[in-house]
Amino acid sequence: MEKVDCIIVGGGLAGLSAAYGLASEGLEVMVVERGDYSGAKNVTGGRLYLSPIRDIYPELWESAPFERPVTRELVTLMGDGASTTIELASDRFATAPHQSYTVLRARLDQWLADQVMEKGGMVITKNRVDEILMEGDKVIGIRAGGDDIGADVTIIAEGVLGLLSSKVGLREQPTARDHALGYKEILELPSSVIQDRWHLNEGEGAAHLFMGEVTKGMMGGGFLYTNKDSISLGIVVGMEAMRERTEKVESHTLLDAFKELPHIRPLVEGGTLVEYSAHAIPEGGIAKVPKLFGDGYLMVGDAAGLALNALLTVRGMDFAIASGFYAARAVADAKNRGDCSAAGLAQYEQSLRSSFVLKDLETAKEIPHIMENPRLFTHYPQAVSGLLEKLYTIGPHPSQKLSSTVIGGVRKDFMNARTLKELLAMRKI
Amino acid sequence: MDIVVSVKTNLDLQMIRIKNREPVLEAIPYKTGDLDKNAVEAALQLRDAVGESKVIVLTVAESNRKVRETIKEVLAMGADEAVLIVDPALESTDQAGVARTLAAALQKIGSYDLVLFGEGSSDDYSGQVGPRVAELLGVPQIGYARQITAGGAGVLVERSMDEYIETLEAPLPAVLTVVSEINEPRIPSLMNIMKAGKKPTEEWSLADLGLDPAAVASSCETLSNLAEEQDRKHIMLEGGAAEQAAGLVNALLKEGIVGR
Repeated sequence: MEKVDCIIVGGGLAGLSAAYGLASEGLEVMVVERGDYSGAKNVTGGRLYLSPIRDIYPELWESAPFERPVTRELVTLMGDGASTTIELASDRFATAPHQSYTVLRARLDQWLADQVMEKGGMVITKNRVDEILMEGDKVIGIRAGGDDIGADVTIIAEGVLGLLSSKVGLREQPTARDHALGYKEILELPSSVIQDRWHLNEGEGAAHLFMGEVTKGMMGGGFLYTNKDSISLGIVVGMEAMRERTEKVESHTLLDAFKELPHIRPLVEGGTLVEYSAHAIPEGGIAKVPKLFGDGYLMVGDAAGLALNALLTVRGMDFAIASGFYAARAVADAKNRGDCSAAGLAQYEQSLRSSFVLKDLETAKEIPHIMENPRLFTHYPQAVSGLLEKLYTIGPHPSQKLSSTVIGGVRKDFMNARTLKELLAMRKI
Repeated sequence: MDIVVSVKTNLDLQMIRIKNREPVLEAIPYKTGDLDKNAVEAALQLRDAVGESKVIVLTVAESNRKVRETIKEVLAMGADEAVLIVDPALESTDQAGVARTLAAALQKIGSYDLVLFGEGSSDDYSGQVGPRVAELLGVPQIGYARQITAGGAGVLVERSMDEYIETLEAPLPAVLTVVSEINEPRIPSLMNIMKAGKKPTEEWSLADLGLDPAAVASSCETLSNLAEEQDRKHIMLEGGAAEQAAGLVNALLKEGIVGR
């Protein structure tokens, strides 16, 4: 069996980040990607948090093809026929260095693949890895296109479903409960129109999340990110919630209805649909992170379940890039010491534990349980909007005292045993 | 037998979309010319049949990045060496300029017995470059080869004509262009792709070939490159189903779509 230093299964951000680190160290790296090019099969809602990874590969980010830095944050709680939007316009977010950017994966991943090849790494596209080769508990390489290729270390960056790694028992089979379905449209709009519609200065961007009616009360939400000349508009919905729902909905109808909402329609008006994509998203939190390393292998990015939906912030790409970086360091050190066994690679998990990756996932460990509560997506958006609607209403009859409207509303919707219990539970997040 | 194969890198045409009647060329991946791969495969088969031969792939481009993947792909298929002519002046060249560049490169390479081309490129498909190079070098050329055998005075070539097959013999060196039916290009294995990067690759500029940028400048200027506008007829048929059907038949007859 012919052999290379390191094989990386999958050329998304995690795999490419690992490849970049290893190629920079002068190691022989083979990235195998089944898409026509890196990014061809990847989907993001739309935003990369750069702050946590700015010091990882600092030389890269200056030239990265980001879309717009996010300077305006909006969240809408959608009740039935009434919704409440909260906007944060932060001077700090509007000042460089910007904490987050909207991105398009087709561009970002191709660019990163180019950087890997500049460093001498090999990114081989249009080739699918068919199998991870094992010898006992040790990963010894891959099978692809009928060829067996060996490697001292195989980095598994195969993405969310982990089909290859679960087949050989390196992680569990994916379940609906731990995954959401994300799907979106990219609608092209002239840059000036985007800036006008979202009240943005030239080059700045907005991120807008939606909760409640948008998913018919199912776990998940809607999102809208502004790119340079397009917007990403989509829905994330829990797979289990979709499955359990008695009155079945087809996912695409949620997006169609979303676009037709009176306060969304004018925003997307005239946009040309240029891309439609969908993907599974890991939502299991730290409880579902598999064993991250073993003899001859490491797991990175979505394949390792490294993603975090914390309602207002949705992250994954920063975890992917960071895990790739730490994987590369661990492999380079293991190669230097000539020990690619589990013991030799153990440093990888230690670095993840002392970095934001596993720390943030640990901090957020209760979030998946909280999000399983459907009232978060039904009762609360409705209660907030309902109360505000009452406060803003002047009817034909004499109005109530402002204070009694507020107290009445709060008492009815928030000061009951169930809500208090839920609010208490939320302290854990 | 030393065989040089000219390969071209073009944009993946299937990825291009039209916006405001113009092609959107940003972020379109590159692709190796389809027929060029047939030419490479033909060269490899010939090399292996004759023995004591090598296959050099030759390409021209305005940037190294553009041809990197293509060269890797054809080296991975089994070509022995690569020669890249890279010069920013080649951005706005035409078929004549490319032919002059290739002819100068072949003269610099010096020893070659066969020069192979695809019969046309996957994008422009002008079919000009092979014949132009033969003319510039003053060597015989045979187009539309569907089979190449070493033998006779040099090579025996079956040409695929529309209605018949022509068999010609040519002395070496000669320029041949191939058609797709000549073979099925091999798909390189992952290990061969890995090794491709280590094969000898020369990179020359126009100056290295003694060419002035003016010598490759396009003699044509593109005034407009617009997609055809498709306008609908906007014919509304009124009345009941039978009336509408009759109206539709009439409209189709009038357009000559049915009843010819």
